[in-house]
Amino acid sequence: MSHGFEPVTAQLPALPDQQWLRVLVVAINFLNRQIVNASMVGMFITTLVLTYSVVSRYLFQVPTDWQDEACVFMLIGISFFSAAYVQSYRGHIGIEVLSSMLPPKINALRLILVDIASAAFCGFFSWKSWTLFHEAWVEGQTTSSTFAPPLWIPYAMMAFGMTLLSLQIVLQVMTALLKKNDHYKKAETA
Amino acid sequence: MSPLTLGTLYGAVTLIVMFSGMPIAFALGIVASAFMYFFMPASSLDTITQNVYEEMASITLLSIPLFILKGAAIGKSSAGKDLYSAIHAWMHKVPGGLGIANVFACAMFAAMAGSSPATCSAIGSAGIPEMRRRGYSPGFAAGIIAAGGTLGILLPPSITMILYAVAAEQSLGRLFLAGVGPGVLLVLLFAGYAVYRARKEYAVAYEAYQKDGIQSAYLEEEHFSLKQKLEMLPRVLPFVVLLIGVMVALYGGYATPSETAGLGALLAMGLIAIVYRVWRPRQMAPFISATIKESTMLLFIIGMSLLYSYVMSYLNISQSAAQWVVGLHLSKWLLLMVILAMVIVFGFFLPPVSIILMMCPIILPPLKEAGFDLIWFGVVMTIVMEMGLIHPPVGLNIFVIKNIAPDITLKEIIWGVFPFLGLMLLAVILLCVFPQIATAFPDSLMGVK
Repeated sequence: MSHGFEPVTAQLPALPDQQWLRVLVVAINFLNRQIVNASMVGMFITTLVLTYSVVSRYLFQVPTDWQDEACVFMLIGISFFSAAYVQSYRGHIGIEVLSSMLPPKINALRLILVDIASAAFCGFFSWKSWTLFHEAWVEGQTTSSTFAPPLWIPYAMMAFGMTLLSLQIVLQVMTALLKKNDHYKKAETA
Repeated sequence: MSPLTLGTLYGAVTLIVMFSGMPIAFALGIVASAFMYFFMPASSLDTITQNVYEEMASITLLSIPLFILKGAAIGKSSAGKDLYSAIHAWMHKVPGGLGIANVFACAMFAAMAGSSPATCSAIGSAGIPEMRRRGYSPGFAAGIIAAGGTLGILLPPSITMILYAVAAEQSLGRLFLAGVGPGVLLVLLFAGYAVYRARKEYAVAYEAYQKDGIQSAYLEEEHFSLKQKLEMLPRVLPFVVLLIGVMVALYGGYATPSETAGLGALLAMGLIAIVYRVWRPRQMAPFISATIKESTMLLFIIGMSLLYSYVMSYLNISQSAAQWVVGLHLSKWLLLMVILAMVIVFGFFLPPVSIILMMCPIILPPLKEAGFDLIWFGVVMTIVMEMGLIHPPVGLNIFVIKNIAPDITLKEIIWGVFPFLGLMLLAVILLCVFPQIATAFPDSLMGVK
């Protein structure tokens, strides 16, 4: 766990050669950037809310009952919304022992297969999240606290974030696949 | 299929999927979902997202991003360098004082920032060049900083301990306090070794000077006037006040852990704005976005690890594995040794977050049955995981040191940290013989459990 410390600043991978794919990648990178900017503001607001609750309780003797759930919703939202941004930098860590042991071609195939499996899982999770959101919306579900905010709010953030994450991985798979095809085409031409 | 066979299959499939290189969070999610599909009622897959949400929607867990933010804010500033310079100026007369200053600065910075690599970078970037300028061998200088940095996950507020408290259902406040005694013990051991080693290197330099007239930086005198010493304090004191203030807020009953995290993060950002003029959005954006990256990655692993543990529990795997371990009738200490060896081996390829959340459901019941205090074990487990930060193959701190001092070879760094690994092992043995080192402080403040 590096705890917000980056020894080397991560860089986004190079854009694909195909025009249509390049447009999609640039668009999702732009969206991710805007989401992270909003998330940064959200994180700052969360610190303000928690500080306010301490100050209001001890200085003004006015306890608040909404701050915990507001902060949970905020941080759940930040985490799911930013998941695609983290994936764009390959920031979700994995065990990379095989990468140094396999031949380059097999390794490239491994990476594509891993991404396809990851996309399938995230896609499945997105679908189930949208279902959960729909249920919470239709049934008017709320949390069991006295504040009782509607549950569709965090479920919607989870569903949107996982959908964006799935899309991000699909674009990474497509970029890798088309790059690979190009490589083969060039090899055949030569 | 018996739960134990199913458990073996679950473990084997998890290892295969993880070693394929898939991100740990997705790997855990895929394996848990697949076992839900094949071995649990069909409807269980419909609740997968609800399970993950309910596990993640814990205000204690969600204090993690805020503690990370607090550490990242302090790590971004020059607080580490200033802290080191001030301690060095006040301690330079003590024999081996430079080494001690580095250990103390690491401990204090680690307690403020709660991050091992950030501590290594902040203190090491000032401390390593200074130690080398004063004649310390490269490996020794690197070893002090790498080992000092590990205190970040032991001294409160430790993110590793937050996770352990959630997984083991133990009091977070008590666990934080239990880390203080062993933290002080490690500081004393590291400082003691620094004095011993510095005196030894000094003696070699002195002998070479007497024999061949070779002048060494070790033999040069250093002097700081009282004015110079006093001038260094104003930049450091606010952070010491922050450190103490956060602890008072937490233990004085003024704030919950999550409120303390939020308050601490806001105060840290306020302090770096006032003391170091880091307040413009473009100055703050790098450390806040790095916090978001790190905490998102961690919370995904946490959410999926908890789903993974839920499936283990539903399929009776964790209970059967725990019963199986109890049934082996291992002696108390052999059981502990086997479990700690497993923690070390898992530490070769898994981050502490996954080790804690995946192993705790299996290892804690036998440990409890054997009569171990789970708060004490949390501290011991944390020290063992700290060791993973400074030994290969992962050894995150080693690579941070290599990054800030590229002229020191990897071999020198690795040899330099070995004595400190031995000291950490000694600390674990001392904790086994004298568990009060960990338990006395929380017991005295919060009453005996």
